[in-house]
Amino acid sequence: MIFPWNKKKQSANVAKDRLRIAIMTDKKDEDFPFLADLKKDIIAVVKNYTEVRDIDIKKESDGEFEALSIDVHLG
Amino acid sequence: MGMIIAIISGKGGVGKTTATANIGLGIALNNRRCVVVDFDIGQRNLDMTLGLENRVVYDMIQVMDEEASLRQALIKSKISDNLYFLAASQTRDKTALDSLKIKQLIEDLSSEFEYILLDAPAGIESGYEHTIEFADTAIVVVNPEVSSIRDSDRAIGVLDSKSQKVKDGFDVDKYLIINRIVPEMVESGEMLSSDDILEILSIKLLGKVAEDKGVIDASNQGVPIILNPKSMAGAAYRRIADRLCGDNVPIEEPKVQKRGLVGRLKGMFS
Repeated sequence: MIFPWNKKKQSANVAKDRLRIAIMTDKKDEDFPFLADLKKDIIAVVKNYTEVRDIDIKKESDGEFEALSIDVHLG
Repeated sequence: MGMIIAIISGKGGVGKTTATANIGLGIALNNRRCVVVDFDIGQRNLDMTLGLENRVVYDMIQVMDEEASLRQALIKSKISDNLYFLAASQTRDKTALDSLKIKQLIEDLSSEFEYILLDAPAGIESGYEHTIEFADTAIVVVNPEVSSIRDSDRAIGVLDSKSQKVKDGFDVDKYLIINRIVPEMVESGEMLSSDDILEILSIKLLGKVAEDKGVIDASNQGVPIILNPKSMAGAAYRRIADRLCGDNVPIEEPKVQKRGLVGRLKGMFS
């Protein structure tokens, strides 16, 4: 049987990897505290031209580049 | 002007209060005037760690509300004339804290003491924010364990956005203490190493403290472990205090305790 605790010898490495990802995810929310406001502003602007159902804003990173991807769902 | 140091951790139970008591006493034993302040409003604990619980008459909320003078509320340590203690309120809650009053209290302490140690409550709520608000240095206490490290990163994040020093455009100095290291487990790859933790948190290292059963015994008696000459944790806290006092003491890695044949046999049966 393969139990996770049978493989405990290298669990420090597992801890390190899990922590890296958890902390990166935590930071994502912290870095962009303005996302809610940005969303509100974009809705206001787009509404001047057409109906909007919802807006999705995601932070994406690809190596050294970071981007905000904004999806506007029209209503 | 004294140096205002907040002792923080995010997660509770990692040894923050023990660290505060021992570092405070260590600084005092270096002949520097030091005050330790318990900011854990409603859950006073530093008094017991220092063995001063029977001496508390007035707390810091009463000082801030001008129901008592600072001089009345400050309790002198039985061990060192250079160490003073200011208790947290046991009956009020953290909503009793007010930024302007805290600022005044810290300014008053800072004119009398060289080191002002603020023991932060666990968590990153308002009580924590008030503790770090006027600190110019933070000591982060972590255990080599995932939830402690993650929570400490969150606490550092709050520090970097909410402290007055940061709002004024400066950096808060941050130092890490890795507490409760089990060298055997680090060696066998079952516990995060100090290098792993430093890589993840990327702040300066102040000290490494081994897991030490003597810490419980010390808190049972209200005598900080720094006074126990045989204790590894005590020695680590002495070095940490010396470093804070400006001595260039190298950081020691907790070592696996080599046991003789009798010790090993005992270990097999315990």
